[in-house]
Amino acid sequence: MTDDHKPVTEIDLHAYVDGFLDEQRRREVELWLKDHPEEDAEIRQWHAQATELKAAFSSYARPGENDGKLVSKADPARMSSTLWRQTALIAASLILFLSGTAAGIYGERLLSQPAPAENSATFESLPGQSKTAFLVYASEKRHPVEVGADQEEHLVTWLGKRLDYKLVAPDLKGLGFSLVGGRLLPVNGKAGAMLMYQDTAGQRLTVLLGKNPQNGETSFRFESTGSLETFYWIDGAIGYAVTGEVSRAKLQQIAEECYRQFET
Amino acid sequence: MPHGPDPNARAKGGNPPSADTFENQILSLVPSLRRYSRSLAKSDSDGEDLLQDCVEKVLVRRGQWRGVNLRAWAFTIMTNLYRDRHRRIVQHPSVELDDTLGLTAEDVSGDPLEKTRLHNALNALSADHRSVLMLVVIEGYGYQDVADMLVIPIGTVMSRLSRARRQMAAHLAENNIVTLRRPK
Repeated sequence: MTDDHKPVTEIDLHAYVDGFLDEQRRREVELWLKDHPEEDAEIRQWHAQATELKAAFSSYARPGENDGKLVSKADPARMSSTLWRQTALIAASLILFLSGTAAGIYGERLLSQPAPAENSATFESLPGQSKTAFLVYASEKRHPVEVGADQEEHLVTWLGKRLDYKLVAPDLKGLGFSLVGGRLLPVNGKAGAMLMYQDTAGQRLTVLLGKNPQNGETSFRFESTGSLETFYWIDGAIGYAVTGEVSRAKLQQIAEECYRQFET
Repeated sequence: MPHGPDPNARAKGGNPPSADTFENQILSLVPSLRRYSRSLAKSDSDGEDLLQDCVEKVLVRRGQWRGVNLRAWAFTIMTNLYRDRHRRIVQHPSVELDDTLGLTAEDVSGDPLEKTRLHNALNALSADHRSVLMLVVIEGYGYQDVADMLVIPIGTVMSRLSRARRQMAAHLAENNIVTLRRPK
């Protein structure tokens, strides 16, 4: 069956990733991949994907508290739960409709309510918000910040209070950047903070801090848009993003330094 | 390849087994059905809804079970339910009230940004591609098993798997994001 010259097919590549090949075929595919770097790179991606997917969902394979009820046919209320949910959906639409009417009457008050969405999906926009803040404020000549570096202590106490977090303004002098100051600004619809730094040539960079609704920890990420580089991460209750028009390597150093000094 | 606890369970004389046996068998399958439903759904609550619908349907249709591989049979029912729901949602997107990317207590230990990215990539897949990918990668079914379960040719399984993997890879690469080691 296993002929040395048997060509490696796409099915072989999938089966290789999914662990369905026998030992000999697996070795043949491995040898073949050494001469096919493009396919090899793709296989690595598929492997990484599979690992990520398993990590994301494996914890769900567990019994739930109400599984017994779910399976016991004796409960007629549960058997009609699909119907019940449909009714609930209709009821919910009705409520939405009615609240729409109410919005017409009490529009202003309702519209001023903050958005309820509080999950990590909103944090995906952190680098976007950081870039916007940089673009808006870093080019500002007269009022780039609300409170200047001459009042650093007041600045960090004030912004820290709004963020409910012991804020420090990282000292980046070792990397050639000194604090310009900071300002309060909305991040994800809540009070957030921006710190601004500049080097002797007037090149600026901003550090954005926003509240993270879910505690969590992430690795560092970067995103580039044109010449703008942004590094961002979440550490516990706060999400951070550093944006500047500097090289990625330089900005990474700066982000790492910020990360080190923000640590409490 | 794991194939559930009782692939050879067979009802004697073609009759469905006693209620107790059948329900207990389903109960033992619920954890893996929960994992599969969550891997297809957009949120935890959506996943639990799908699981509940599936268990209901399995119980209602118990007479149709041919007594072989209950797990695969339940997975087929789940896949069909998911496809139907997906179609409904695409046609009437406003119906889905709980379409949130829920990060519940058990999720926070990981990397929330990474999870968001992964879920966005998954949500961009079609129902057919996503179910094949999950059956193979998460549930460990072989390609022929998937073809049998979904009553499609094995070639279709392979092309859906390829498409799903390539689309995921493209979507994940699109963000121009690279994970770096923390300087701790």
